Amino acid sequence: MDLELQILWAGIIAYVASGSLAIVALLMGKRPERTVLALMVLGLVLHTASIALRWERLGHGPFITMFEILSSNVWSLMLAFALAYWRIPKIRPAAAVVMPILFIMMGWLMLSHPGEGHFPPTYRTVWLYIHIGFGKVFLGAVLVAVGLAGVILLRRFDLGVDRLARLPDDRRLDELAFRFMAVGLVFETLMLVAGAIWAQDAWGRYWAWDPLETWAFLTWLTLAFTIHARLAFKIQPATHATMIMAVFGLAFLTFFGVPFISTSPHKGAV
Amino acid sequence: MDERQQRELRESAVIGSGPTTDPGQRNVPPSSEPRPAVLRESAYASLKALASLKLTLVILALLGAGIIVSYQLEGARTWPLVLPLGLLAVNLAAAVATNGVFRRQTALLVFHLALIALVLLVAAGRLSYLKGKLELAEGEVFDGTLTDFDAGPLHPWRLDRVRFANEGFTIDYAPGVRRGPTRNQVVWEDAAGNAQRAVVGDHDPLVLRGYRFYTSHNKGFAPVFLWQPKHGEAALGSVHLPSYPIHEYRQAQEWTPPGSREAVWVMLQFDEVILDPERPSEFRLPAQHSLVVRAGEERHELRPGEALELGDGRLVYQGLRSWMGYTVFYDWTLPWLLAACVVAVASLAWHFWGKFAAKPWDA
Repeated sequence: MDLELQILWAGIIAYVASGSLAIVALLMGKRPERTVLALMVLGLVLHTASIALRWERLGHGPFITMFEILSSNVWSLMLAFALAYWRIPKIRPAAAVVMPILFIMMGWLMLSHPGEGHFPPTYRTVWLYIHIGFGKVFLGAVLVAVGLAGVILLRRFDLGVDRLARLPDDRRLDELAFRFMAVGLVFETLMLVAGAIWAQDAWGRYWAWDPLETWAFLTWLTLAFTIHARLAFKIQPATHATMIMAVFGLAFLTFFGVPFISTSPHKGAV
Repeated sequence: MDERQQRELRESAVIGSGPTTDPGQRNVPPSSEPRPAVLRESAYASLKALASLKLTLVILALLGAGIIVSYQLEGARTWPLVLPLGLLAVNLAAAVATNGVFRRQTALLVFHLALIALVLLVAAGRLSYLKGKLELAEGEVFDGTLTDFDAGPLHPWRLDRVRFANEGFTIDYAPGVRRGPTRNQVVWEDAAGNAQRAVVGDHDPLVLRGYRFYTSHNKGFAPVFLWQPKHGEAALGSVHLPSYPIHEYRQAQEWTPPGSREAVWVMLQFDEVILDPERPSEFRLPAQHSLVVRAGEERHELRPGEALELGDGRLVYQGLRSWMGYTVFYDWTLPWLLAACVVAVASLAWHFWGKFAAKPWDA
């Protein structure tokens, strides 16, 4: 276990270096984007190796304990943002908004106990991977939207206007954030459907309003509300950005708050 | 959505393309008798009001509030959800009927129709579902009797035609008494009268006549008795002791033999460790055990084959078996719900793909 933890910490150091560099560069007006991306990729490689070692040792993926849930989500969120950072160069300064959110999760991860948990027989299904995979794409897409929404809101409050000037204008950022939210809606819907299929086979009911199901559905409703409002009405980018933040806040509470206060991700359904 | 599409969506909510836009209708003189065209116009205006996009937002917020209320108050699980879902179905149906944007954007139309279908299917499912529990001792045949159930008012009740027998199970336990996979052998007769066997378990329910039988974590030991009443026919009966290992130290139960008026208290005693917390083990019957039976003030210790005389008959202890608790679920809408979900997600993805493909993401 020591080796996998050491590799994990090394990966987190690379993430923190990447995020810190992105923030400092934005403040200094510099653009070390290749270095930032390289550090992100280095962190991802190390983190992947750590997760793989743990998976091999325990015989199951990172789905049970709070440590595992945080670790796998830091990994997937970093991967989602690294992909957006690589493929959409114009939004790279948004890293200064996204990385602090990930720093919080990394800090929480470092404080969590890395002990192992029991992998219940009802988790031995391909639907677990499909359900969680869709959930990770959803949260990753919403995280990128949060980065863009954060830039819009910082400009609104006259924070770092000059530093953020090289990003596209609010309208373009708003449009891009909307796209990521739309991707999020599709994948959260898929996550709920895959979860319902799994629950039907594993526990004999496709929906039971357990805490995680309830909060995941509330997140879906809030996301649908935001997208409907953005599509049907001419809401201002700042209003849309605020709604995106609310969706992410709710999704964050669902993904990490409910498992934190529950004995298992789906309480009682093991 | 670009400026033009947004304008169209807003305009179509207000203007529409039906009779209200027909200029000929505006010149019709008022009449004391409501004319069909006026009625149509009024109905259409009502439909347009129901199709309001703002109303959709209100309903979504209402549904969110309903979910929180039903989550907090377990006794109020129906109306806080039924009301907003019903309103949502009406709102979506009115929008599809009156909003011109759906005639121009097929994917959006399909998505909204799939959402309406989902709401209607969930309603149909809630009216006809069945969720219940049953317990069967090893060798016992299910006769349609449930220990507990919850059913919709329109449930067709075909359980009396469902028969299957529990032929025993195995469950592995990891160190720390952590339950592993359940493998339960069951047997039933198919429509042609041929015996069918299967192993059901964690992800594999037994599906008979639309009823899905799932094994549960609830299982334990079942002493089996032959009850020979002084008057009447002998009958077999089993006592399902509390679930094991959850109630490891409470393996006792009161039981009344079939047709008897006299209850007995039964307790299972054994010394060996069945599920060892230190190493992998398997659920099994104890190799050595005795059964304490208390009838009134008298205490007896029975071993298989021994009998006890009661006031109205003779109780013969046949031996120890296991019992398995099952949950049963019936909802004929399941495959249709899945189909509606697949269509909804596919059409939503199709809609967004069409919208975003025109302009690159990094433009």
